[in-house]
Amino acid sequence: MATYILKRLGQGLLTVFLTVSTVFVLIRLAPGDPAVAYAGPLATNEQLAAVREQFGLDDPLLQQYGVFLQQLVTGNLGTSYSFQAPAVQVVLERLPYTLTLSFAAILLAAVVSIPLGVWMARRTDTRSETGVNVVAIAGQSMPDFWTGILLLSAFAVVIPVFPASGFATWGGLVLPTVTIAILQVALISRLVRREMATNFAAPYLTVARSRGVSERALTWRYAMGNSAIPVFTALGTRFAAMLNGVVVVEVVFAWPGVGSLIVRALETRDYPLIQATVLVTSLLAVGVQLLIDLAYPLLDPRVRLGKASAA
Amino acid sequence: MTRTDTAGRPSGPTPPSGPSTPTTPEEARPTAVTRRLLARSEAARRTSAARVKLWVGAICALVVIIPIVLAQALPLPDANGQDLGNRLAPPFTAGHLFGTDQLGRDLLSRVLHGGQVSLAIGVLAVIVSGAIGVVLGSIAGFYGRWADTLISRLLEAQMSLPLLMMLLLVVALFGPSIPVITFVIAIAQWPEVARLTRSLVLVEREKPYVSSARTLGLNRFTILLRHVVPNVIKQATLVVLLLLAQAVLLESALSFLGAGPQRPFATWGRIISDGQDYVTTAWWMVTIPGLFIVLLVVGVNLLGDALRDRPRRSTASRLRRFVGLRPTTSAPAPTSAPKKETLA
Repeated sequence: MATYILKRLGQGLLTVFLTVSTVFVLIRLAPGDPAVAYAGPLATNEQLAAVREQFGLDDPLLQQYGVFLQQLVTGNLGTSYSFQAPAVQVVLERLPYTLTLSFAAILLAAVVSIPLGVWMARRTDTRSETGVNVVAIAGQSMPDFWTGILLLSAFAVVIPVFPASGFATWGGLVLPTVTIAILQVALISRLVRREMATNFAAPYLTVARSRGVSERALTWRYAMGNSAIPVFTALGTRFAAMLNGVVVVEVVFAWPGVGSLIVRALETRDYPLIQATVLVTSLLAVGVQLLIDLAYPLLDPRVRLGKASAA
Repeated sequence: MTRTDTAGRPSGPTPPSGPSTPTTPEEARPTAVTRRLLARSEAARRTSAARVKLWVGAICALVVIIPIVLAQALPLPDANGQDLGNRLAPPFTAGHLFGTDQLGRDLLSRVLHGGQVSLAIGVLAVIVSGAIGVVLGSIAGFYGRWADTLISRLLEAQMSLPLLMMLLLVVALFGPSIPVITFVIAIAQWPEVARLTRSLVLVEREKPYVSSARTLGLNRFTILLRHVVPNVIKQATLVVLLLLAQAVLLESALSFLGAGPQRPFATWGRIISDGQDYVTTAWWMVTIPGLFIVLLVVGVNLLGDALRDRPRRSTASRLRRFVGLRPTTSAPAPTSAPKKETLA
């Protein structure tokens, strides 16, 4: 168990390391001069040289990488060009907003999609189920920025129920959450349906039914118990993806989270800020993945971590 | 895992036993309806559902694709021709079926021409990612050992990465040209194909024909290329169809964020992004391009779903049915490899 955790932790850290290194290389490969972005288009050559000197942009690449690795270990990725503050700190200030939004969205998605999926599984291929299924496919096919704008114009402008942007009140959380949750509900409810339908057709369920187990227990304790792992995995993976995938929705709703931060960092070529965002989000994503794996034995006592189950 | 979509009712492969052995409450009463008939109706229902999906999907997709392909031939105003005297005209005004945008450009023309860009990027990206995925996936599955370890690690690493963020990063750094965007979407999507191909090849590799081919003296590469890949390519291409839907969505998201193909190309994402400021006064600028995306993606998704659920028959047996002969008793080759669909 301990060795398993250590091994997974090592793998996760390796992934994070490779990611930030890739980003480091990409940034340096790319055309465009951050000094120009920093000093503005009217800067003289002397000013540009001073900026390059200040941020070490003229050093040999390997030396820059060495400095970067040092910074990585100390967790201090330098000063953000545009915020004039430690980059990691800027990201961490924005992180709670993204976390709140992601958490609200995954909660809403779970609350809606699990009962919906179960309902669909209990009446597969009936007419109403097919209808719901088609709606789910449609929900899965809508670009989130589009649904976001439509919801925004409907419920913030035409009928002003919720604030249009930002996170001043809790009401501001509603529209972005719903926007994100639509896609998640569509995906996860179809997954729940598939898993539950498989279990409903399994012989053990027939045996249990013949022994007089109530339908409610059959559904929630027997079938759901056996569907728990894939459903939980899906929820967790979607949550991990959301931590950095809500960029679009954050932009639409002017949500002060990490997503809108990275868009701004990219526009201004704020290298330390880009690096810090990638570092923090990939650490989070890897961490959530690890937690999901660690939770398997809680959901299914047959699972032993570190054995063949790791697959 | 068995992939039975039949719910509630056990439909195992057991032959119809005598009526005196009830197994489920439903079969407790004596009835002429055998389990075989039930299973058959279940299958029939599924087939018909697949057929409906196939048709609806095809119609949705074609309604979008045909006008896009014909955009050059249709009598449309120039997609970039401005008419400042006729700004923000609502739909159904003379000469502008979908109305005009804030610069008086014809929305229908813009949506169709933008569709050409989006669709071209999607198709190209999917071809590239399909090719990379099939090549790497089959290498990993067939050769195993270090090749498998390397490719699988790469897969896992990439799947745990912040996808959209990385795409944005690359596009922002290397400039939003069409090749860059296509490449970026392809790179984002290859793991899905590679993983599926790998698992299919793993099953295929153990089949007797592979060892016979080796006994006959074929080298491993020839076996992989000439015998194994042709056997898995069909299922791999089905996933590629579902990926096309994703590629279109990704491209539109990139465009929306300003990281799409630059002007003068009018991509769907940018038309919507432009219309965002006018959403209360000119709803059509946001709604109509979005509906095009939805229609196309729903169509492609439904098609992919239907083709996957469709009971697989060999071309030979389909031909025999067509000619009117009864299919021979030899069952069609079971191509039921593990094809667990994953979340996008």
